[in-house]
Amino acid sequence: MIAPQDVFPQIADWVANLDDVFPGSWVKPYFAQWEVVHLLSLALIGGTTLLLNLRLIGFGLSDEPPSAVRRAVLPWLNLGVAGILVTGVLIGTSNPERLYTSEAFTAKMLGLAAALVLTYGVSLPAARAEGRLSRGAGLWAAVGLAIFGLSLGVFAVAKLVNPGLWHLVIAAALLVLFVTRRRMRIIYLLGLVGLMATQVAIHHVIYRPDDYANLDPANKAMIGIYLAWILAAAAIQIVRGGRDPGGGPAVKALAYAGILVWVVTAAAGRWIAFA
Amino acid sequence: MVRDFVVWLASLGKGSGEYDPSWSEMLASTLNVWGLLEGTHVLSLMLFAGTIFLVDFRLLGIGFRNTPVSVISERVLPLTVAGFILMVLTGVALFYAKPLVYYHNIWFRLKLVFLVIAAVNIFVFHVRVQRDRAVWDTAPRPPAKARISALVSIVAWITVITFGRFIAYDWYECGKPLPHWANVIQECATSEYGAIDLSEMAR
Repeated sequence: MIAPQDVFPQIADWVANLDDVFPGSWVKPYFAQWEVVHLLSLALIGGTTLLLNLRLIGFGLSDEPPSAVRRAVLPWLNLGVAGILVTGVLIGTSNPERLYTSEAFTAKMLGLAAALVLTYGVSLPAARAEGRLSRGAGLWAAVGLAIFGLSLGVFAVAKLVNPGLWHLVIAAALLVLFVTRRRMRIIYLLGLVGLMATQVAIHHVIYRPDDYANLDPANKAMIGIYLAWILAAAAIQIVRGGRDPGGGPAVKALAYAGILVWVVTAAAGRWIAFA
Repeated sequence: MVRDFVVWLASLGKGSGEYDPSWSEMLASTLNVWGLLEGTHVLSLMLFAGTIFLVDFRLLGIGFRNTPVSVISERVLPLTVAGFILMVLTGVALFYAKPLVYYHNIWFRLKLVFLVIAAVNIFVFHVRVQRDRAVWDTAPRPPAKARISALVSIVAWITVITFGRFIAYDWYECGKPLPHWANVIQECATSEYGAIDLSEMAR
């Protein structure tokens, strides 16, 4: 009930016709080539938002003020966003029925909206103000986080798509591993290894690998436990660590969201093809 | 000889029964593990390609012009290396899931060629180009040799990504009527589906 066709049933005829007219019909024979440009744009967004938000967390190019990192990444971030939007629309018009019936696509579009709000409304202005969060940016943060939450909710209940949420767990786990130090990092890593061992045991000792009826709820519970462990470590880092973070805890927390929201959007995009 | 190894790889862990799957087949037929591996491989581009492009932009003198090259290398390249490790681990696992399919795939073969070119470029950069980095560390526009190295890097990685994406398409699948050169490059004659020559079909 959460695919675009459920929300916008009145545009079904328009969608059905999209790949027969320009530009869909024109893109269709070169679908793979346009996909490559879509992926290259995604890579640009990944690199730039990572450096921008890591700086706000207090890592990466931490010798430079946040405003300098913002200035350096902005043209390439803009290029990546423009690229992903243009190629996304073109690919979409050449493959419209697939997206119209895809629950993952709903999660992806909500994720994209949240990513744009959190990047352009929060991370970039906060970096420009050397890590301070203005009232306006705070408002955008609330809007962005609300849409991000909605995207995650759709992702979590989407049929055959929700295993893609493990990409969020993997990305968040690695991000927090990168920003933790010394004893904290060892404890954090041991916790992760313990959780992975538990999961292997659930799949091969407690239940049989094909016992999906039991494994499905167990995996969902494990996602929650992983995220709780990762968020706890991130919370400690937000309060304590990082070289010259510039911003306060709120900006640091939003910078984590600013990285992961793009990962969730990209993951939902990839899982359109897997459902 | 290489193919014998790939065949052995594909049959590893196969049970005694006729329909017992090998480990490779088990991985390829998992409900979600294969998708998560493939998804992680693609998403790692955000980390790996995204950061290496930014390092290359610095070397080309079109990005981070006010940041010393040494600072970019020290702070950004660890992220690139982490991304590369993730890429290789997931890539090897994906190859293992369908080794013979990729062995006879033209795009996979071309991808490996450009991976080698990218690797040689990195090697040359580290042992030759970078040797006098102290001289041009803070230069907004590094010398030509560094810019050439960065350009080779960008082109090689874009090509690797392009061919990587094309692997999923069956344009040149062995067993289809193909131009002679495609059958030769993919060694279709030794594949399960054989080589069917397009020109011979026409005759």
